[in-house]
Amino acid sequence: MNWEQDVAGESPELEQALKHFKSSVDAWSDAAYSRPRTAAKLVVRHSRRMVAGWALGCVVVMGSLAGAVGVVVHRQEMARIAAQKAAEQRAAAAQGTTQPASVQPVSAQSDKKTPAATDRKVGVGAQDSARSQDEDLLASVDSDVSRQVPTAMEPLAQLMDDNGTQ
Amino acid sequence: MRGRGASTKVMAAGTALEPLSADSAEDIAAQEFARIVESHRPQIFRFLLASLRDVDLAETLTQECFLKAHRNWSHFRGDSSAMTWLMRIAINLQKDHWRNRRMQFWRQTRTNAVDLDEASEWLPNGERSAEQQMLAKEQVAQVWQAVKGLSERQRTVFLLRYVEERELSEIAAVTGLSEGTVKAHLSRALGRVRAELRGTR
Repeated sequence: MNWEQDVAGESPELEQALKHFKSSVDAWSDAAYSRPRTAAKLVVRHSRRMVAGWALGCVVVMGSLAGAVGVVVHRQEMARIAAQKAAEQRAAAAQGTTQPASVQPVSAQSDKKTPAATDRKVGVGAQDSARSQDEDLLASVDSDVSRQVPTAMEPLAQLMDDNGTQ
Repeated sequence: MRGRGASTKVMAAGTALEPLSADSAEDIAAQEFARIVESHRPQIFRFLLASLRDVDLAETLTQECFLKAHRNWSHFRGDSSAMTWLMRIAINLQKDHWRNRRMQFWRQTRTNAVDLDEASEWLPNGERSAEQQMLAKEQVAQVWQAVKGLSERQRTVFLLRYVEERELSEIAAVTGLSEGTVKAHLSRALGRVRAELRGTR
């Protein structure tokens, strides 16, 4: 059955439009089919596109790698600085605790009139006073920071008491 | 590529004088295939071009179609005509292409499809006045617009019927649909074209 019979009895406009459509597709197809092929150009264009894609991909990968390496190096540097500071603080603290003992001879040297035994006594006394000051300080910190912890069953017992009274 | 004369000579030698050797059978098959490529290639290209509106893609898929046909030529038993067989391969390739574009949008399946106005520019230079040419172009553009709005299957059926001028039974064989379904698709497609021509889409 011819396709024209499909639209027989319908508007002539439809039939005409379908005919025009067919002839248009035929003309386009004939022209495209007989045109000179540009395979070489296409290959070049495709390879260029591929090269550009690879280059872009490489740049992105290198950038992200460089960023990651930078972050790692930065962290290592920060850790090194922190460790250095901590070491310095420790050294300063150690120096601080030993200072009274080390300072004492200097004060003793300044006072050349006092005898050596007295100097030793004064040094021991200073160490003791420093130690007792530290202990006092620690005790006061403990009393400030700590608070009485209830025993394990105390809240429950308290609750029971409350219920009982109610 | 050898001519048809050589083919008939080999055939004659094979049938009348001595049994065909494997080489001469292959020669015959190759010549037969070359003849089919020569005769059917423009139609396959035209169908793919109308379906895709992309000259480069239509050429590529036409090449792939005949490459696939060449690989499977030994399995072609001639149950259907060569044209039907080739058209079925072309339709499957086209389906694969659309599927790839939908599912794997990052792949390089960029389309160079021309817009409808450009596609409508093509008209044979008949003995028509400028006014008739304008009218014809307008009608072609409207049909393209309707075709664009069709589903993939409707478009295939429509193009096979109204561009390739295939019989309903052949369209049914190519698409794997029943004749009734083909008629239904055609009816819907024609309805769209009618609506577009009336301007009441």
